[in-house]
Parts: sequence; C-alpha cells; structure tokens
Amino acid sequence: MSRLAIRTRLTLAFTSAVAVVFLLAGTFLYVRLEHSLDASIDASLQAQAGQVAALIRQADSGLRQGGNTAARSDSFAQVLTAGGRVYDASPQLGSGSLLSAAQLHDAFQHPLKIDRSVLVRGEPEPVRLLATPVSAQGQTLMVVVSASLADRDQALNTLRYELLLGGPAALLVVALSGYLLARAALRPVEALRRETERFSGTDLSQRVTLPQADDEIQRLGATLNGLLSRLERSMSHERQFVADASHELRTPLALLRTELELALRRPRSNDELRTALRSAAAESERMAQLADDLLVLARSDEVELAVARSQTPVADVLGAVVRRFQGGAADAGRRIVIDDRFPGAANLDATRIEQALANLVENALRHGGGTITISATPVSHGLGLSVEDEGDGFDPDFLPRAFERFSQADRARTGRGAGLGLAIVDAIVTAHDGTVTAANRHPHGGRVQITIPNESFRHA
Amino acid sequence: MRVLIVEDEVKMAALLRRGLVEEGHLAEVTGDGESAVAMARASAYDAIVLDVMLPRLDGFTACRQMREAGVWTGVLMLTARDSVHDRVAGLDCGADDYLAKPFSFNELLARLRALARRGESPRPTQLTVGDLRLDPASRRVWRGESEIRLSTKEFTLLETLMRRPGVVFDRATLLEYAWDYGYENRSNVVDVYIRYLREKVDRPFGCATIETVRGAGYRLNVPPQ
Repeated sequence: MSRLAIRTRLTLAFTSAVAVVFLLAGTFLYVRLEHSLDASIDASLQAQAGQVAALIRQADSGLRQGGNTAARSDSFAQVLTAGGRVYDASPQLGSGSLLSAAQLHDAFQHPLKIDRSVLVRGEPEPVRLLATPVSAQGQTLMVVVSASLADRDQALNTLRYELLLGGPAALLVVALSGYLLARAALRPVEALRRETERFSGTDLSQRVTLPQADDEIQRLGATLNGLLSRLERSMSHERQFVADASHELRTPLALLRTELELALRRPRSNDELRTALRSAAAESERMAQLADDLLVLARSDEVELAVARSQTPVADVLGAVVRRFQGGAADAGRRIVIDDRFPGAANLDATRIEQALANLVENALRHGGGTITISATPVSHGLGLSVEDEGDGFDPDFLPRAFERFSQADRARTGRGAGLGLAIVDAIVTAHDGTVTAANRHPHGGRVQITIPNESFRHA
Repeated sequence: MRVLIVEDEVKMAALLRRGLVEEGHLAEVTGDGESAVAMARASAYDAIVLDVMLPRLDGFTACRQMREAGVWTGVLMLTARDSVHDRVAGLDCGADDYLAKPFSFNELLARLRALARRGESPRPTQLTVGDLRLDPASRRVWRGESEIRLSTKEFTLLETLMRRPGVVFDRATLLEYAWDYGYENRSNVVDVYIRYLREKVDRPFGCATIETVRGAGYRLNVPPQ
C-alpha cells in the first residue's frame, strides 16, 4: 500500500469508504423494503383470517362458492378439521391439505406462518400461509389463509438488481472523480518537486516560487526555502573557513618550500644549511600548530567540541598555564601572576580550559604589555576566569570581531598568528556552555573574561 | 634584472631577496603598498613581485595605481590567494602574471625573466582613443563620461578598431576579427555594423571618428593631441 503513489492510495481509500457506505445503505434499504412488504402482507393475512373465521362461526364459510368476499383472485383459503381433513377450500386449490400433519399440530398450539410454493390451478406460486385455529360449529377448525408473495418477491428482486448494477457503476464514478481530484490537489506538490529537482547541488542561491495563496503548498515551499537559506549560509560559512584555512596554510608552506629549494640550489656551508633547516623547522612547527587549531575549530563546527568535564581544582589549571609561560615571560621581562579567589574545584575539562587560558596568555605576551594577571573568581552558579594585561589593550575596531576566525587586529602580520587563538577560546568556552567577552581596561590594558556555569545545562 | 619585491611577510621577503641576489639579480624589498607605488614611480625595475594582502594599500590597488601613473613594468602577483576570482581580479587590475603560494622558485625566476623580456610597452587594461574608452574586462564603453550600450558584435568591432587606432582595416580583415570564418552572409554585414556603430558612438556626440577610407576600408581616427 505504502509503495503506491499518494493519489492512487487516496483514490483507493476514498473508494473503499464509499463502497462500505453504499453496501450499508443498500442493505438497509433492502431490509427496510422487505420488512415493510412483509408487514403489509401479514396485516392482510390477519384480516383475511379474521374474515374467514367470522364466516365459519356464523355458518358454512362458503369458500367453495365463487364470489365469496374472502376468496379474492390472488388469494385463497382452506379450512381444515383437527384431523387434517379439508373442511372447506377455495376453488382454485387442489383437494390436498395445505398443511402437513406436523404443521397442523404446531398450528393448533399457536398461529403458524409458512412461506411455501403452492400449486394454484396447476401453476406453482410462492405464497405465505397463515394458519389460525378457530372454535366454531362445536369443533376446533384450522383456518389457513394465503397471500401471494409474487409481487413482494418481484419488488425485492428489482431492488436487488438495481443495487447490484447501480452500486458498482456509482463506485466507478466515485473512484474516477476521486482520482482526478487527488491528482488536481497534488499538482502543486508535483510542480514544487519538479522545480526543486532542477536545482543544482552546488548553487544554493535558488529558491522555489511560492504560490500566492496561504495554503499548505505555500507553507511547504516557505519551509523548503528556509532550509535552503540555512544550507546556503552554512555552506558559505564552510567555504569561507576552508578558503581562510588554505590561505593560512599556504604561507608557512610557501616559506618552507622556498627555504628548502633555495638551500638545495647550490652547495652550502654547514652553517647556511643549519640556518635553513632551523627556519624550515619553525615553519613546519607553525603549520602543525595551525593544523591543530583548525582541527579544534572544525570539530566545534561539526557537532560540538567534545569536552570531558570533571571536578578539577581550579588552582591546578591556573598553575599549569603559568608554568608553561613563566620562562618565556621572564625572558621578555614580563610577569605572570595568579589571583585565585575560587575555592576548591570546578566542573570543567582541564585540558581544554588550560588551552583556552594559554591562548589568552600567549596573546597577552605577544600583543600586550606589563604584568599579566590570571584570576579565578566565584560567580553565580559558576566560575569566572579572566586574563588581563597592562598593554595598549584591544583596537576598538577589532573588539566586535575579536572572536571571529582568522580575524587579526593588525593586518601587518608582524605576529605569527593566524587569528585563530580567540576563536578557539570561544569554541572551548561555548562547549562548556559558558560565555567569553573581551574588553579594554581603564586606564590601559586588555581583559578577556570567561564565565563557565558549574553544571552543563545542555546535558542536565 | 632589477626586481622590486613587495611582500609584508618579513621572512618571505628576505628569502625572495636572497634567492634573486644569489642568481645575480638586484632586488629591493618593501613591505607595504603605498611605498611600493612610490618606489615603482621613482626608479626603473625590470619586474615587480607584488603580494596582495599588504598593509595600507592592497596589491590590486597598488598595481592599478602604478598603471595609472604610467608605470608599465611587468607585475607578477605572488599571493596565497589562488581562487579564480582573485586571479581574474589581479590580472584585470593590470598585473601581467599571477603565481600562487607555495610556488617553485625556478618557476618564479622563469616568469620574471619572461616579464623582463616583454619590456615596458604600455598595456592599459582599458583602451582609450580620444575621449572614447573601452573596458574589455567589464565589456563597457564610454564616450567622455556617458556610457554607450553596444551589442556583442558592435563591441567586438569597436574593440578591433580601438586596438589599432589610425590603422585602416579592409572589410575582409574586420570580418575575420569580428565574425568567424563560417559566417555566410559576407556581402555588406561590415558596412551595416559600421553604420550601427557610428549611430551609437559618433552621431550622438557630433563627431566622426570612424572614417571610411575609399577603396580601402575603415579606420578609427586618433584626435590630434
């Protein structure tokens, strides 16, 4: 059933429903007619029996004489004795009793109604008999009256015939119009399908044309267009990401290639070769870092960045970050201090949060100035982490797009970053259901504030 | 060869310079677009290696400004941006060649040599004859400040005439340039289109730059300077 086209299914269902209705209505009609015909025949039999009984009580029923009121042409009567002898009978009947001995016996218990075929003037005729016992002339007699069933049977036959012939014909009409109706109703769907089919897989800027009416098709089309818009947005986002990533990867790759090519062009001294190799190593390191960063961001795009949260002492995380950068900071004449006011442990992914803080400290070392302060504070339902420095702060133009991928404050590329550090911080914090903001401090310096709720709401 | 290297990635610039110098060339380095334009105007180079993402003035704009200033030194765009869109934009802004990073140093040298061979003949991106201006990239035509709408054939015909202003083209040559060989109706199609062109390019501006040279063909006249 489910393999058939909708219009076929609709037609089948509709036609079946109508067929059931037809069948019920036809049966009802037939039964009603039969019932009402039977009722009128029974009434006439009762009346006839009454008449014959009245006649017998007075005298001889006179059935044998023609013209008797009870002996109409289409009906006849018979009066039997208790012994089964024919006491009196209408002339059209033969001499035999209309009732068998058993029926006669039953009829004396209570009035008996029998449908049977009787020979009338030698012709078999379907009749209904009513046998009623009557006490008259000092004995109990059995009055049997009859009514022809020919008219009734013919009326019922005609009706049955008409129903059996007209019903299927009407059903055929119903099925055909149902099919046409379903096809007409589904035509806009088909049109929508055909239009969508023409869309190419690469160009997502196409949209289906919406019908004017505010109907189901219009809503389906609008939904489809909405889906296309979302797809287009995410596709272009993806393309931009890939383009940016490939651009960022090309720079170290070009340096690496040129460096090695130049080194191999002519005989080089050991020192020259060592310098070239060192430079090549630095570039491959830069590419490896970039690849790591891109992987983190690509994963955060796919579903969400996997974070393995556990109760972790906040002091441990801060300590690990500081240990990583202390040496470099000291070399540059800078200081990193911890301001930990968070008591005990927080529910977080230590590795990821450490990475986020490391990115912030690295940024502060590279672009900022003065002492770098990493602080942890309790906030409502969670942990607040921040990294501050005493440098020039963020470029106000850069702040609104600070957490975008590949966005860099200075286009001069004096630094070596690809503009992914803050984007990764954002991805990590988002995976913790937290928020991150960047701002400038007064009178100088930059500050990035992270807030991580204690429980992950998403999986709560 | 004397080469100007415009590259803001310090390490890359140093590598390029070293490679060129080791090959016996002269190389000067600058890290931003504005000073690149100034240096190209101030002294003669055989070729310019131009990055696209530059501080202050991007490579495309810098190249356009050089051309506008009459600097016809061969320009090679060397950039990590390698989409078709970027290549087209680079070449249409007046660059002569486009090379995407990472590149082979040998190829870079060969391309620079080819650029130097071409010399400094003017290669404007837009054709200009008097106040008539045609941009092959965007397929637009202007007389002075007003834009003229031309059909494809009219445009091709005008472009042919404008590429060699003052030169007489006979009908057969124009047919070859603007129609393909298979074109059947050769009788007077050139005359018909020349008439269309005059209707659009000359008549509304009250001039007669497209001239009929009796017995020879047609010519686009160069106005006296």
